[in-house]
Amino acid sequence: MKIVVDRTKCSSIGLCEATAPDIFQIGADGELSILIEDISEDRRTDLEQACENCPTQALSIED
Amino acid sequence: MTAILTRAERPYDPADLSSLAFWSGTWRDREKTFAELRAERPISWHRPVKNGLFEDPNDQGFWAVARHADLVEVTRRPADFISGEGILFESMPKEFLDAGQGFIAMDPPRHTKIRRLMAAAFTPKQLARIDDHIVANARRIVDDIAERGEIDFVTEVAALVPMHNICDMVGIPEEHRRTIAYESQFPDGWRDPRLLQGADPLGRVAQAIMTCQAIAMELVEARRRKPENDLITAMVQAEVDGERLTDEEISAIFFLLIVAGNDTTRQSTSHGLKALTDFPEQRAWLMEDLEGRMPMAVEEIVRYATPIMTFRRTAAHDTELGGHHITAGDKVIMFYSSANMDTEVFDHPERFDLSRSPNKHVAFGGGGIHHCLGAQLARRQLAATFHELLTRLPDIHTVGEPELGNGNFFHTVLSMRAEFTPEKKR
Repeated sequence: MKIVVDRTKCSSIGLCEATAPDIFQIGADGELSILIEDISEDRRTDLEQACENCPTQALSIED
Repeated sequence: MTAILTRAERPYDPADLSSLAFWSGTWRDREKTFAELRAERPISWHRPVKNGLFEDPNDQGFWAVARHADLVEVTRRPADFISGEGILFESMPKEFLDAGQGFIAMDPPRHTKIRRLMAAAFTPKQLARIDDHIVANARRIVDDIAERGEIDFVTEVAALVPMHNICDMVGIPEEHRRTIAYESQFPDGWRDPRLLQGADPLGRVAQAIMTCQAIAMELVEARRRKPENDLITAMVQAEVDGERLTDEEISAIFFLLIVAGNDTTRQSTSHGLKALTDFPEQRAWLMEDLEGRMPMAVEEIVRYATPIMTFRRTAAHDTELGGHHITAGDKVIMFYSSANMDTEVFDHPERFDLSRSPNKHVAFGGGGIHHCLGAQLARRQLAATFHELLTRLPDIHTVGEPELGNGNFFHTVLSMRAEFTPEKKR
């Protein structure tokens, strides 16, 4: 799985980082980075929760 | 669907959420009204708050959102329910909104860009990096009281931990901290004669804003000459849409950060110690595994305290909420203290239950774009403070009833006595 970030929506609020800190990171410049490119299937619940929690609906999962 | 009535035609709900008397009671008093509203009239129209700060002839009332689910919906519809008209119940002079509310009262796209500037300083990972520092601040505050045995807990502990931490992050030196923490009380505390001490409310709020602006500008000048690793420097150096922030914008963000940084965790810490005193079995449970249980405990302390009781939005256009027609320009007030007591979400919400899990409280917001920037900071501070207090002063407890504020925004504790067996001189 991959995480796709809509950069026009992301406000770097960081709820994704709070959900899965090993996957999401707000950098020093305030930009969100995805730390793992190809995410294993057993993390699906975390990713779904991160997408669901995102206040700006900036995240989506690409299978 | 109810018939569409204009603001002037709508009948007011019989429940009182608008009087000073309502806000002068305890949360338990208010909860009786909220419970009735949640059960019977979860979205209801109320007469305007009478405040004496600023008479707005166009203020005809507000919608009250009492249920958890509706509150979450409102926060997640930022295009329908906007913040740019103000975030407090009361109408305010425009100059106050501009000077005092920073990005909390902005809407996208500007909000998105300004908030992003701050984001990196408040992420969970960044807060983990400065955790030693937060722990050290808690330790020095407990050091100062440890031999005394009796204190006013609000001024000697609850106010100081957040004051030092937010000032460290923003870059406010020691000599300005007490002033900043004191002045930050007025944007909400102007209703309170105990704080006002005879001053005219509007004038006193303006004075608080100007005092903090002067400090902000002094620090901005200093950072322009010599950058540091702090948020003032970040604001001075930031570019948004290719332009620097203006001094006015920096001042307003500064004011937001100090008010939000000081007056929230202060209340959670105070209500937290009161609850730990009132529920000794919960405290005993926590002490069995202080380290391991602290994160859960912190969530429940924050839910139980609900340091911010209300936030307002304004309808951007005619829209619908919970079967009600909301007219463009209507004020919509979310009641966090009510949502955090919603039995649809919480089992026995009236119980202080440190093992509550899951704990889907909305004390940091309903998950919208204005979700609390400082949530992780608050969590770390509460954990550090209670860890320090409960290990070094294990019998610390409150004495008597706290003196509560009468505002409708912060769940203010003005003063609260605490006693403990003094620590032996080291």
